[in-house]
Amino acid sequence: MARHKKIQTEAQEDPEMNISSMIDCCFLLLIYFLVATSLVSEKKLDISIPASTQSASSQKPPVDPGRILLRADGSATWNGDMTVAEVYNPDAKPGTSEYRSQRELEQLVEQLKNYKDLASSVQAEPVVMLTGAPTAPHQRIVDIMAALAEAGIKSVGISTADPDAN
Amino acid sequence: MAKKNARANDEVNGNVNLSPMIDCCFLLLIFFVVNATQITVAKDPSVKMPSAVSCSDLKDANGCIVVNVFSDVEKMPPEALKKYNKAYPANTLWGVADANGKTIGYTEGQVQDLTDFIKKQKESLKGKGMEDGKIRLYLRGDMAAPWERSSTAIRCAAAAGVTNIVFGTLPSK
Repeated sequence: MARHKKIQTEAQEDPEMNISSMIDCCFLLLIYFLVATSLVSEKKLDISIPASTQSASSQKPPVDPGRILLRADGSATWNGDMTVAEVYNPDAKPGTSEYRSQRELEQLVEQLKNYKDLASSVQAEPVVMLTGAPTAPHQRIVDIMAALAEAGIKSVGISTADPDAN
Repeated sequence: MAKKNARANDEVNGNVNLSPMIDCCFLLLIFFVVNATQITVAKDPSVKMPSAVSCSDLKDANGCIVVNVFSDVEKMPPEALKKYNKAYPANTLWGVADANGKTIGYTEGQVQDLTDFIKKQKESLKGKGMEDGKIRLYLRGDMAAPWERSSTAIRCAAAAGVTNIVFGTLPSK
């Protein structure tokens, strides 16, 4: 009787699976992904380059593309005559009004929105040509791209001519 | 007989019930697996990202060909210089990571090599069934890098047939 009972209790305990190694693995993976996932996630700005076939076609676009000229000092003009960005100051402190006015190119956004409305009134896709000086800082380009994104323009042609050269 | 039974019960109660902890653990694991984007490997920590006023979240990193654009090494701040990959050749302007996670640095004279790399990446993405429109150039330019370098990378991408460009930024403070 006693022997029979002992065998039965052993048989009841045996089916338990040892999951400690699985927990170890699981924790290891958890720590890996915790470290690999950076806390400050990068954001993005989308643009697309107009296909080269567009410029090759003989048909004239219904509206002229908007032109943004970026100089080496970070100042920018819209359609050749209107200054839309001041000289870039890389030392402006975040949070100050100077920083905000430097980065938020309100005048440019307004012009771009007007241009987009003009293009959509004739059912044309708004296209902007961006000409940047080779030595202009990348930050300024991103500021302009942000203004384009705010205005909802995605098609941006990139010209390599130097606006300071002439 | 009854005593024996009670002892057996005690032994069973002594075990800690691990299943809720495992549940939680798995939940966290799945959360981080989903959040970790594939482009983590190609992100170069020495690139000081520019900030943008209006930018959106990068929801899908699939189809992104990452190109890091560096500023001049001598102008890099000390904390960025510490993270700079010393394996890159001198005067590296563009840094990429291939499919195996191996980093490659390209200098000014290797523009054609960069174009070939983007072309190769594009072909391999296409081979995996990625649509043409979803293949994008993810440009991680340093905020102080001259525009010439970024525009050259964009031109390389255009030559390789990638016309969608994504500018990597940080949210503005």
